This record gives sequence, structure tokens and C-alpha cells, in this order.
Amino acid sequence: METFELLLHGFSVALQPTNLMWALVGSVLGTAIGILPGIGPALTIALLLPVTTALAPTSAFIMFAGILYGAMYGGSTTSILLNTPGEAGSMMTALEGNKMARAGRGAAALATAAIGSFVAGTIATLALTFAAPAVAELAFYFKPTDYFAITALAFCSVAVVMGTSRTRGFVSLFLGIAIGVIGIDTMTGQPRLTFGNMQLLRGIALTVVLVSLFAVGEILYVASRYRSTPGVMAPIKGQLWMTKQDFARSWKPWLRGTAIGFPMGALPGSGSEIPTMLSYTLERKLTKHPEEFGKGAIEGVAGPEAANNAAAAGILVPLLTLGLPTSATAAVLLAAFQNYGLQPGPFLFTSNPALIWGLIASLYVGNVMLLVLNLPLVGIWVQLLRIPRPQLYAGILVFAMIGVWGLAGSWMDLTIMLVVGLAGYVMRVYDFPIAPVLIGLILGPMAETQLRTALAAGQGNPMVLVSTPLSAILLTLAVLLLALPILLKRLRANA
Amino acid sequence: MSTDGNNTTEGGSQAAAPASPRPYWIGVGLMAMGAVWLYAGFGLPQGARYAAVGPGLFVTLAGAGLLVLGAILVLQIWRGESFEAQDAEDADGATKMDKRAFLTALVAVALPIGTMGPLGMPFTATLSFMLVANAFGSRRWWLDLICGLVLACAAWFLFKQLGLQLGRFFPPLGV
Amino acid sequence: MKFSKTLAALAMTAALGTGAASAQVNVMLPANPGGGWDGTGRQAFQALNDAGIYTGGVNFTNTGGAGGTVGLAEFLGTSTGQPDALAVFGAITVGAIKLNNSPINLAEFRPVARLTAEYLVIAVAADSPYNTLADLVAGIKADPGAAALGGGSAGGVDHISLALLAQAGDIPVADLNYIPQTSGAETVTAIVNGTLVAGVSGTSEFAQFAEQGRIKLLGVTSAERRPNLPDVPTFHEAGYDVEMANWRGILAAPGAPDDNYAMWVENFTKLSQSDAWKAVLAAQGWEDYFLAGDEFGAFIAEETERQGQILKDAGLVN
Repeated sequence: METFELLLHGFSVALQPTNLMWALVGSVLGTAIGILPGIGPALTIALLLPVTTALAPTSAFIMFAGILYGAMYGGSTTSILLNTPGEAGSMMTALEGNKMARAGRGAAALATAAIGSFVAGTIATLALTFAAPAVAELAFYFKPTDYFAITALAFCSVAVVMGTSRTRGFVSLFLGIAIGVIGIDTMTGQPRLTFGNMQLLRGIALTVVLVSLFAVGEILYVASRYRSTPGVMAPIKGQLWMTKQDFARSWKPWLRGTAIGFPMGALPGSGSEIPTMLSYTLERKLTKHPEEFGKGAIEGVAGPEAANNAAAAGILVPLLTLGLPTSATAAVLLAAFQNYGLQPGPFLFTSNPALIWGLIASLYVGNVMLLVLNLPLVGIWVQLLRIPRPQLYAGILVFAMIGVWGLAGSWMDLTIMLVVGLAGYVMRVYDFPIAPVLIGLILGPMAETQLRTALAAGQGNPMVLVSTPLSAILLTLAVLLLALPILLKRLRANA
Repeated sequence: MSTDGNNTTEGGSQAAAPASPRPYWIGVGLMAMGAVWLYAGFGLPQGARYAAVGPGLFVTLAGAGLLVLGAILVLQIWRGESFEAQDAEDADGATKMDKRAFLTALVAVALPIGTMGPLGMPFTATLSFMLVANAFGSRRWWLDLICGLVLACAAWFLFKQLGLQLGRFFPPLGV
Repeated sequence: MKFSKTLAALAMTAALGTGAASAQVNVMLPANPGGGWDGTGRQAFQALNDAGIYTGGVNFTNTGGAGGTVGLAEFLGTSTGQPDALAVFGAITVGAIKLNNSPINLAEFRPVARLTAEYLVIAVAADSPYNTLADLVAGIKADPGAAALGGGSAGGVDHISLALLAQAGDIPVADLNYIPQTSGAETVTAIVNGTLVAGVSGTSEFAQFAEQGRIKLLGVTSAERRPNLPDVPTFHEAGYDVEMANWRGILAAPGAPDDNYAMWVENFTKLSQSDAWKAVLAAQGWEDYFLAGDEFGAFIAEETERQGQILKDAGLVN
């Protein structure tokens, strides 16, 4: 029952007028960037990181949480009405949602997406509320070898699952790891790959890589292959609300999507694409109206949308309790914590309960706000898409350069922006997945530190790496993930 | 990444023959990058008193990984692996590359390296804004100038207020 | 030229409203926003303003990385010979310069004032067999490799205090199995889950965890027991002649004009006696560790010598 009291205290923090205002700012910003192409939640929070010098931590995190959730709401709107997902997590929504919109059932699709997001967001936040303190205690049992095994498994799964081929997945991953080793080695203080440059000593900031790969790479790519005829927007017409039957067909997918999304979000490297894909496949299998799939089945919107929001809450569990970032957004949030000199982990729950519980409570508040912002106002939001593309992309570049320059006022960072931005362009042209670069950059240094800590504490005995049951299981899984497809191929070839 | 200088020309040949691009240079570039990392890795201590692995290990691993992956990629390209450009919102992977637009946008990204310090952020941002808008086909430069200037100044003041270090407004005038 | 500049500035200020006022003192904070150095710099200037000692504009620059050496190198480049250019630094910078082979020489800068300090404590897990510092040192001596020790970055004050403790206890410094941790909270986690046998961090970081009963504090690096930790013996009491403080201070640019430098030394001397600063110290839990001007310069030289020697003994630098 202690949790309940802490949560109540959290609400007293989240409901203060200033914090409510920041939650609103975050929700509005989040919805907007979810709708606009080219910018996602990770990028937006990265660009806003420097405001941490001016804002109190609680307010800043409440705003960031609003952006995180809001982007999930906003992304579905464009998927449904325009068939262009603003977020990777909304790709599945476009499949059925846009068909529904074209059949004149756009309002119902938007409603099931928004209500599904709300239901999933609220249930997942509840799960976060009660799971987090328990998971936090795990930090005292997890050893460096366990963390190393988690990162190793994340590497293998990301490289194998994402992208068109495993080679290209691993190329992206290793690029990230290679960038991650630049700078001072935290364990010994030795400079690595700095080529005598002082500015490279502090390493290449995640923000710079994120902004360059996503915003700059995207601008260069879209500029070179610009399709000036914009997508056709399906009008919102027909019946304006979900029918009884729509509800009856939606509530189970909402719950199943939540059940898939929340735990998947908590796993490193799964992002929001995999849970939404799983949810879509599951709904397609379970539906009583298989003939409607591909032509606008409401289950295909309800499930993935719920999964996508639940995953957003899921990433907060390992982040807040273990300090373990499982996605780019989580990594940027971790950087925000570190800007305040805070280390997410079990101690944050005791040393700074107002922040943690205020943040969790604000997720409930934000969900309600977003439902209100999105359901009746959807017509206003889509007006954002009328911003002419030339000025929109130009504006994105302006914010990208502010984010990079504002970090340290260093021309070196701007040079890195150009080089990594070009790399992002090349990766788009030749179809290399982008996300593994970030996973390598985020988890690479962590894997290295944990590996070396585990080995040092075990006096160099490599057996220490499988000394706990968890590490043994996870490393076995990682090896299986790599070897299984090859083995299967061999077996098939022999048969 | 170390071969980024090549990519515009290669991107051009890709546009000329979009059916089956053979981007050997990517594989070779990855191998070159791997070699740099490997070299740096070997220059660092591989061991440590108790940890058995030192600061050089991950650098060496990253280098070796890139080298091997680059070689595999070259092999795959030789065997005819297909590389299709990704589709994005507002972009069509199948269309031909617009070199002029690409280069204009590239200049907009490269510009800040030289001008951000001496000419300040609002000026640089305005110029980059105009260039990108131009790359996307906007031909009303005066409108872009006004849009860019308003956006850049508003952003400068807002973020300055929020505590960002964006430098002076227009350094040549000392303000 | 000067006139036209002033005119332009006036015109711009008038045209653009507030916000563009040119700053009068430039302060380098060689750390990312939010950390101890950032706080020290910003709070000190806030207090200077509150006490009416210095009420002009302040322009802060955050350039983090490598124990402050990245920021100080930039400061050296942009501010040499300039008046009204100050930088925050601290005990960690001294070791970091040696460790990173940085070209910076602290003796080139003009020492303004040492402001605050935090003492360090050494802790073991609550269920550890070691109950005193002597037990712990004996345990490390028996098998240094098996006794993993942790704290902040390699060559930082935590590491150096452990190295000094080892020397005082006749353990070869190079034999210590020191594993750097990213934060005090990480160090506690590692102590509790058994990765580390003992860890070192600032008193304020460890005290709360000792209260929760997660860890036991075996010793503090101050000369006298701390008022807020009356039960924790000093290293001296336990028989080890070790004193170490994580201090923070202010430097002026190399070659700063004499009168301007003297003004800043005086400003900070006034600050150290002001109520505004005392309120900041109390609110932040910082120790007053004031020392100004040339005496501070002598102290920096001493620290450079002491830390350099111990890093050499630890095999971290040649």
C-alpha cells in the first residue's frame, strides 16, 4: 500500500499548475511531432535537452513524458488519414487504418486508435507504477555479468531482426559501437581514437549522432528524391463515432496489444516496431472477420495502437529502475537525468521520490490530456500537414543545428553532423537500418564497462561471464539467435 | 564513413542505373574504417592487471568487425545482392536522384561549420533555411528569407532564454 | 570603432528588446550542466549578486569532459591575457591533467580562490565481515586482487584516497584492483550486490545509504570527525595518515591584468564572509574550504606534486 501513498504524493506534484502546464506543453509538442514527418520523440527530446539548465528536473521530465506519449498519439493520425506513418511504431496502423478512412470510417479508426492508446497507456502506467519498485530491487541482485549478457542479447536481436539482411544489420550495429569507443576510456582515462584532438576527448555525443542520422540524413535523402505531390488525405466523413459493434470488436485487441507492448518495450532493442507487428499478426489470426483484413479491419488499428503506447510506457521500467536504456528515446532521457546529476536506478526512488512519482503520476494526467487533445481536435491537428514541405524541412534543419550547436558551441560537433548526416543519407540510399547504429552507440559503452567490471571483479576469469543463472541463459539465447538461422539453412539444404 | 567524399559520384551512378547498383565502395569504405580502428586498437593496452581485457579490446573488436563485415559486403555485392533505396514520407526510393537538390541541401548542412562561429547562429540558420527550401523547390527566395529570419531569431531568443549557449546574435557587430 | 560598436549594440538592444545585454564576466564551467562544478560556479555568482558584491552580467560556458581538462584547454585558448575571465575547477582536474597527458599547466593560471570541499568516506556492504578500517586493510593486504575496490573515475580523488590508504597500510598501490564507477549511486549498488568489496565516495552521497542500512561507513578522510557523521572514525584515528578533500575553486586566465585579478580575489574573499554564501553552503551541504590568492596557488602546487606522485606509484602515469 506504500506504493499507493507515494503515487498520491506524485499526483500532488503532477497536479501543481506549473507542472500541469509543462505536461500540456509536452503533450502538444509530442502530438505535433508525431504528425510531422522527419522528427520523432527521441530527436525532439534531444533538441530540448539543453533546457535542463533552466528547468527544474520534475517539470522537464513531465514535459518529456508528454512528448513521449504524445508522439504515439500523433503518429496514428497521419497513418490513418494520409497513409504515411509519422512514427515507426505507427506503420501497422496505416495498413488497416487508411483503408478504413478511405471507406468513410476514418472517425471510427481515429477513435479506436485514440481510445486504444488511452486504455493501453493507462494500464501500462498502472503496471509501471506497481512493477517499478519491485524491479528496482533487482538492481541489487543484477551483477555486471548480467548486464553484459543483456546487452549482448540486445546486439544480436537488433542486428538479426532489423533491416533487410543480417550483414547490413551488423554493419549498422558495428558503426554504432565504433563511434561509441571514441573519446576517453572511462575505466583507465586513456584517450581512444581522438587523433590528438581535444574536442574528441569527451566522445561523440549521442544527441549529435541522433540529430545527424535522423534529421540531417532524412533532409538530404528527401531532398534528393523529393516527391512533390503530397499524399492524398482521406476526408473524415461518414458516421462520426464508433458504433457499438466497433467497441465490441476493439476492446479485446486493446487489451491484447497492451499485454504485448508493455513487456516488449521493456526489452532492449525491440523498439516499438516489433510489438506493433506482433499485435497486428495476432489480431489477424484471432479475428472473426478475416475477410476484412487488408480492407479496413478495426482490430488491425486497435491492437497495434495499444501495443505502441504500452511499449512507450514499457521503456520507462528498465530506465527508471535499472538505469538501462532500451531505445533511443530512453537513452536521451537517460542523458537528461545525467544532466541533472541524477542516476536512474533504485536509489532515485528513495532519494528523489517527488521526481519519480511526480513523473509517473504525470503519465496518467498526460494520457487524459492527450485523449482530450486528440479526439475532438483531430481536425485541427491535421492542418499541421499543410505546412509547405520546403519550409518544413528547412525549419527542421534549423532546429537540428540549434540542437547540435547549443550542446557546446563547437565546430567539431557541426563537422560530425555533416559526416554522420551523409552517412545517414548513404544508409537510406542503400537500405541499411538506422536503429542498430543507435543501439550500438548507446549499449556499446555499457557492454564494455560491464564486461571489464565483471572480469576485473572476477580477476580475469572468463567463467565469471556465465557465473549467474541469468547471464548463462541470456548469453545462450544470444548465441542461439545468431546460429539458429544458419543451422536451419544447413538442415534444409541437407534435407 | 571515411569514404563519404565518394558518395555523391557513386550516388549519381546509382541514379543512372537504378536497376542493380553495385556499391563496392561501401564495403571497401567499411574495411578502411575497420583498419583505422584496428590500428588504433593495437596501439592501446589490450590487457589490464586484473581485468584481463584493457581499453584496446573493444576498439580492436569494433575494427575487426567492420573489416570482416566490409569483406562480406563486397562478396555479397559481387554475388549480386540488391540495394533498393528506402521509401520515406515525402520521398520515393524509386525516383532518380536530383543531384542539384542534394548538393544544395548538402551545402546548407556544411555551411554552419564555417559561419556559425564568426557570423552567429541567426544569420547561419537563415541562410541554411533558404538553401534547404530552395532544394525542395521553393522559388520565392524573399519569402524564405523572411520565414528563415523570423524562425531563426525567435528560436535564438527562446533558447537563449532557456539557457542554451548559442553565442552572440551577430558577432561581426559585437552584439 | 569603439563608438560604432557601442552604437550598434545600443541599436540592436533597443530594436530587439531585452536579452541581448552583453555579459561582463565570462565564466568557464568545464563540466556538463547539473554537476558539482556547474553548481559551484552558478551558485557562487548568484551569491555574489545577492550579496551585492558583483551585480554585473555573467556569461557561463559549459564545456564538459575529461575531468575539466577539455574546458580548461578551451579557456586557455580563448581567454589568455583577458580580464574578467574565470574558470571553475577542482581536485579532480589535478589528477586528470596528469592522467590524460593534457598540455595544461595549472601553475600558468592565476589562482583566485578555493571555495568548497567535500570529504570522502569508505564503505562496505552492511553484511560485510569487515567492521573497521584496519580489518578492511588487512583483508586487502591478504589478497589485493580478490578485494575489488570502487569509486569515481580512475585517477580521481576517490582512487587517490584509496591509493594513499594502501600506501599507509603497506600495500603496493599498483596491486589494488580498482574499478571505476559512473556515480556514487552506482558504487553503492556494486557494493551491495557484491561486485565491490569496498567503495569510496563523497560523504553526502554515502550518508543516506548508510542511514538506510545498505552499507557500513568505515572511515572518513577529514582531519576531524564530521558533525553529521559522529560515529565514523577518521583515517587518522584508525592509524592511517591520510587526508583528502574533493575541493573546488576558481581560476583567472593566465596573464590576467593585475588590478582585475586583485579585484576578483577581493570579491571572492568578501563572498566567503557573506551571509548569502553561508546560506548556499548550508543549503547545498558543502564544506567551507576558503583560501585565496597566492596561498591557494601554493596549495595547487602541493596537490599537483602529491597527486602526481601517487598516480606514478599506482602505475597510472609514467
